[in-house]
Amino acid sequence: MITQIVKRDGRTVPFELDKITEAIYKAAKALGGSDRRMAEDLAKQVVAYLEEKNLQTPTVEQIQDAVERTLIENGHARTAKEFILYRSGRTRVREMNTRLMKIYEDLTFRDAKDNDIKRENANIDGDTAMGTMLKYGSEGAKQFDEMFILKPVHSKAHADGDIHIHDLDFYTLTTTCCQIDLTKLFTDGFSTGHGFLREPNSIQSYSALACIAIQSNQNDQHGGQSVPSFDYDMAKGVAKSYRTLYRNNMIKALEFEGIEDADSLIRSTLEKVEAETGLWPALNADNGFHAKEAELLIPVIGEEAYKKAYDFSRKFTDKEIDRHTYQAMEALVHNLNTMHSRAGAQIPFSSLNYGTDTSPEGRMVTRNLLLATEAGLGNGETAIFPIHIFKVKEGVNYNPEDPNYDLFKLACKVSAERLFPNFSFLDAPYNLQYYKPGHPETEAAYMGCRTRVVANNFDPSRSVVTGRGNLSFTSINLPRLAIKSNHNVDFFFEQLEREVELVIDQLNERFKLQAGKKVRNYPFLMGQGIWIDSDKLSPDDTVGEVLKHGTLTVGFIGLAECLTALVGKHHGESAASQNLGLDIVGCMRKRLDEESRRTGLNYTLIATPAEGLSGRFVRLDKKKYGVIEGVTDKDYYTNSFHIPVRFPISAYEKIRLEAPYHALTNAGHISYIELDGDPVKNLDAFESVVRYMKECGIGYGSINHPVDRDPVCGYTGIIDDVCPRCGRREGEAVSVEKLKKLGVYKHLNASTLGCCGNADEEADRIPNTL
Amino acid sequence: MKNENIEMVGQGVGFERIRRITGYLVGTLDRFNDAKRAEVNDRVKHGLDSGMERL
Repeated sequence: MITQIVKRDGRTVPFELDKITEAIYKAAKALGGSDRRMAEDLAKQVVAYLEEKNLQTPTVEQIQDAVERTLIENGHARTAKEFILYRSGRTRVREMNTRLMKIYEDLTFRDAKDNDIKRENANIDGDTAMGTMLKYGSEGAKQFDEMFILKPVHSKAHADGDIHIHDLDFYTLTTTCCQIDLTKLFTDGFSTGHGFLREPNSIQSYSALACIAIQSNQNDQHGGQSVPSFDYDMAKGVAKSYRTLYRNNMIKALEFEGIEDADSLIRSTLEKVEAETGLWPALNADNGFHAKEAELLIPVIGEEAYKKAYDFSRKFTDKEIDRHTYQAMEALVHNLNTMHSRAGAQIPFSSLNYGTDTSPEGRMVTRNLLLATEAGLGNGETAIFPIHIFKVKEGVNYNPEDPNYDLFKLACKVSAERLFPNFSFLDAPYNLQYYKPGHPETEAAYMGCRTRVVANNFDPSRSVVTGRGNLSFTSINLPRLAIKSNHNVDFFFEQLEREVELVIDQLNERFKLQAGKKVRNYPFLMGQGIWIDSDKLSPDDTVGEVLKHGTLTVGFIGLAECLTALVGKHHGESAASQNLGLDIVGCMRKRLDEESRRTGLNYTLIATPAEGLSGRFVRLDKKKYGVIEGVTDKDYYTNSFHIPVRFPISAYEKIRLEAPYHALTNAGHISYIELDGDPVKNLDAFESVVRYMKECGIGYGSINHPVDRDPVCGYTGIIDDVCPRCGRREGEAVSVEKLKKLGVYKHLNASTLGCCGNADEEADRIPNTL
Repeated sequence: MKNENIEMVGQGVGFERIRRITGYLVGTLDRFNDAKRAEVNDRVKHGLDSGMERL
């Protein structure tokens, strides 16, 4: 006679027959059964079986085994299956609780250097209080979503590593990213919380408010913040500053000449001209303003005085405006590298697109932003934010006769020194189709690491970049599908199509949750009208309709390993593999285009960035399938459609092979080239790589090269083992005397170690061959 | 320190190595996760003289 059982935690508790009956009844009920009497009979059989086995004090596990066995023996196979599902679900909940507590323990007691989770995102400092708190929240939310929010089939696919649902911790909370229209935001001012920010009136205020907008929006979304036409947006700030500076210089000049009431005379004259003609004093002196100004002023102060004051004001204003713009851009770069979001744990992910505004003001913004980036931060450090994207366009900045060609050259130079800007190509056919000259909102822009949103199937008349972004994305583990297909390509495609269906279903489920949110859940993104049409909504309206302008996106990782598993060679090794690769990526894109047409929403395909994911899939696959050469034999899967990073290939061949994938991945893509040595010494070669990208139809590209810095002497360039300037090795001390001799010693303060670069010395560096 | 009269600086100060990881620049390899660290170590350079057409 059983009177007691042993629980999982080891405690012994009284045996209750009802509990077995209840479990069986519940399983039967899930299948539509309602025979409680039968459940009781079966429970009694379970007890009889246990006693027959002489288990006088059975464990919970033993009882559950007996239930399964009894159900099957009595022909209740489907009920047994239901019971097993219930049982494994309970087991998972239990394991997850334990796993979560283990994760919390590691977050609490281990440093980031020993804890991979704390380094999941390289831009979060996992060792800080707020960084750790962010991880507690994130890990807890992920497990909650896996257990209670996701459809079991999606949760299982994610947990098993067939797919990866990105930003799972934010699943029920928000969307990925948005391209911010600063011009629209600044017009008539805005609010970020308490109080109201008036429309800015100088380039300094424009750049300061740009940072605030990026920071505010970062707190409403889990992805990055992008400004698609930064030069156009800031140009108005330059124009306003010019107006003020010119006015002040005119007043100064006339006062110096002894003209009475110069202040009110100039102010009233400028106001009058503006009221009658809408004209301001501008960088472009031929805009007609000065003719009108002269007409009004000469009768009052005489031609000579006017001419003198005019020459003085033009000369100084032209100089000052450049200085003001540089300082504004310098402040912006510094701010974006130091300001924090998300409870202080993270710098906002900011991206600025620019390079196509050919107005004198827009050009001044672009040039000074590049120069401020070239100069670096306070001690000459390379800035890590914002991500700069220089938009390359024929007729605008690509050819020597183009108005902004000088800026393209400068962009190449700065990128060769500081890794930014990256380059986007508006002439790639899939970008060019949206381009309307004079409408910067139709110029394809890229966000953060690579996201792209232009086409709008929900409302094709608004195929614009501004106010729109990605809603969520989920990636497919391509290498696993290939391993499972066992070299059978047809079977691979069947599975791939099924997987895409599964992900579309999951994206739709997530969209339902996102659509139910209200404007007040996003005080800045929706409350301040950043997102397209959100300005037409009230705080308690749901955001579902306006979110339909966003994209629902499928991503992928490891095309190279997938091809190797399928046919033995990746796309860098064989032309046949390249064709198969294009078929695979094309197959996904085709299905998503169909879904867009069918539903009127925007389903798109992204070449997944995959930071945390790069190790996760391969870890799971190694466990499941063992080490497969060229597939699971590394600690990471190759990014999206990239040629493997360790495969030797020329820059040009890599660009040529990767370019066609850019056309297929309409939600975003990037190609990287790794250059050896110091590209500053060979800017022509650097530019030729950028030009080759454009000619091959790359949408977005970037060139990597080593940028090292010795904080002690301030040397920036390539450092192998020994600093070429001060001669110290990593961690070694160097004498103050030596630094003084080099002319780079400034002050002995451990916390501010570092000095400005030495231009003479850097000019002496030996060029490394490319 | 060899000679107490010589003033030295920089003991224990490492070099900064800026690298790009999934599109973002990171100032120190310490913050990379294990997989990305492995990937960065594996990266090879792409030559410019392969007989390909230069523009």
